[in-house]
Amino acid sequence: MAEATTRARIQRFGSYLSGMIMPNIGAFIAWGLITALFIPDGWTPNEKLATLVGPMITYLLPLLIGFTGGRLVYDFRGGVLGAIATMGVIVGAEIPMFLGAMIMGPLAGFAMKLIDGGFQHRIRPGFEMLYNNFSAGILGAFLAGISVYFVGPLVNGLTNALASGVEVIVDMGLLPLASIIIEPAKILFLNNAINHGILSPLGVEQAADAGKSVLFLLESNPGPGLGVLLAFSVFGKGISKSSAPGAAIIQFLGGIHEIYFPYVLMKPMLLLAVIAGGISGVFTFTLFNAGLVATPSPGSIFALLALTPPGNYPGVILGVLIAAAVSFAIASVVLKTSKAEEEDLSAAANRMQEMKGKKSDATGYLTPQPAAGIVGDAGARNLASDNTQAVQSAPVKTAHDIKKVVFACDAGMGSSAMGASLLRNKFKKAQIDIPVSNTAINQLPADADVVVTHKDLTDRAKAKLPQAEHISVENFMNSPEYDKLAQRLKEQGE
Amino acid sequence: MAKPVLSRENIKLNVAIPNKAEAIRFTGQILVQGGYVDAGYIDKMYDREEMATTYMGNYLAIPHGTEDAKKNVFETGISVVTVPEGVDFGDGNIAKILIGIAGKGDEHLEILSNIAIVCSEEENIVKILNATSEEEIMDLFSEVK
Repeated sequence: MAEATTRARIQRFGSYLSGMIMPNIGAFIAWGLITALFIPDGWTPNEKLATLVGPMITYLLPLLIGFTGGRLVYDFRGGVLGAIATMGVIVGAEIPMFLGAMIMGPLAGFAMKLIDGGFQHRIRPGFEMLYNNFSAGILGAFLAGISVYFVGPLVNGLTNALASGVEVIVDMGLLPLASIIIEPAKILFLNNAINHGILSPLGVEQAADAGKSVLFLLESNPGPGLGVLLAFSVFGKGISKSSAPGAAIIQFLGGIHEIYFPYVLMKPMLLLAVIAGGISGVFTFTLFNAGLVATPSPGSIFALLALTPPGNYPGVILGVLIAAAVSFAIASVVLKTSKAEEEDLSAAANRMQEMKGKKSDATGYLTPQPAAGIVGDAGARNLASDNTQAVQSAPVKTAHDIKKVVFACDAGMGSSAMGASLLRNKFKKAQIDIPVSNTAINQLPADADVVVTHKDLTDRAKAKLPQAEHISVENFMNSPEYDKLAQRLKEQGE
Repeated sequence: MAKPVLSRENIKLNVAIPNKAEAIRFTGQILVQGGYVDAGYIDKMYDREEMATTYMGNYLAIPHGTEDAKKNVFETGISVVTVPEGVDFGDGNIAKILIGIAGKGDEHLEILSNIAIVCSEEENIVKILNATSEEEIMDLFSEVK
């Protein structure tokens, strides 16, 4: 049992990571397209449009991730805090701070949740708005300020450590092993620091002597990333599967490596794939004594080939292909096993439910309840696999904070009335003294603490009243959620 | 003089209904004939069904109009139709008890909440489906503690 919970925890963490990245893949692709097309080395250079590249990767993408991360923890309120705190990380560091956003976003959301938990129920009626805005403002300002001071030095330290690591390895002549540092560093967006800070200068020296250098190939080899993206194209699920082929084109032909970083970030096990791919690529390069005459930038296959000196083509091409093949093979195994594990897990959760005859609290978290209303059925299935956390992420209140439970449906004349009376009945039996009313979604009272809706309408209700806890039910007549809520309130009320 | 929310005339037992669209039309038509709603209300019932199913679980479906359909309602009323053979309400949900609802104010909420509590027990569903007279249904839905 302990094993299962550890696995569940790891998996929840994994779905958390992908929950932060996945909804924003569109933004990554937009940025990748703009970059591949319009930068000076791009396909149709355009100075004006290229000005989008920097701000998008520095600000837009990390802020989106920070917001999404905060939102996963504490809904919109958490999202806003996540974005504010991420801004501190961005300003504090000189490189695009994806990892920082992935840490600070959820952390800020969590901090807000803690503070709200401590204060919100003590706020006098009429002051809620004032409290809500200023508590978020003050906490946000504090977190952003802290980030500015702490993150800069942290990133610099990390960059220096990695850089000297690579330098040592290169000095010792163990080039393939450099991938162990280079590939993870790329994912952390430290690639340029390493490539242009260490590898390029050393490479230029070598090239001046020998006319070429293998060091130019260490970081710019598009093979490992290509392998991961191809693996997603074949064995991924949902959005990650359908977006991966496009991302592969941007990465391999356009040379915008950043596009595959989010795919690795959401399944950290994939680092193994890119590292192994990198090692085998570099090993092949050294075996064939291949090199380039200058740093290919961006790291597109075309740029690589354009800079390959005569006679070195077999080595360069083979190195890229082998790197891609190895990374593909390992990534496939990683994706397939994690998929099987997920299936195991939900099957186990189902069995547990069957045995108990109703949904238990623990299994409720493992059973995805996608937001069917907004994305439609097909999308919902994608969400179910990619974004398990999203629906579970809304604030959950304690009995202490719950003064009013409202059942809502479209017109407030049918379903909600029936649901409300059933829940009222349950509360009465459990001797819980909390009023349950029903209403149309458009008339949801602002002071409702818990809102119950049919699963198709939950998104509308959330949009109307984001600060409330939302419970989504499928079977109004006999929902396990009623008993869950009643039990929760009873236990906490005592 | 206000009409009763539920009367004998609003109850139809053991009806065979081929599909969901027909189920909605049938329950709505009872309300139209009873003078509770105008004919336009039935279209609004289809609109509401598009938005989210009115299938409630436990073989119960409650077709009704959308929020803006309240202008089509003259008086609050409900209709009850039993379909022992069942009607497919999509997603594998089979409805056997159809409650058509036209709500103007809150007069129907009491009886609706009775219906909810009655229908949350599976044994009552069987009772309703086996009912041989409209009175049995009236009694079942009104005599809740």
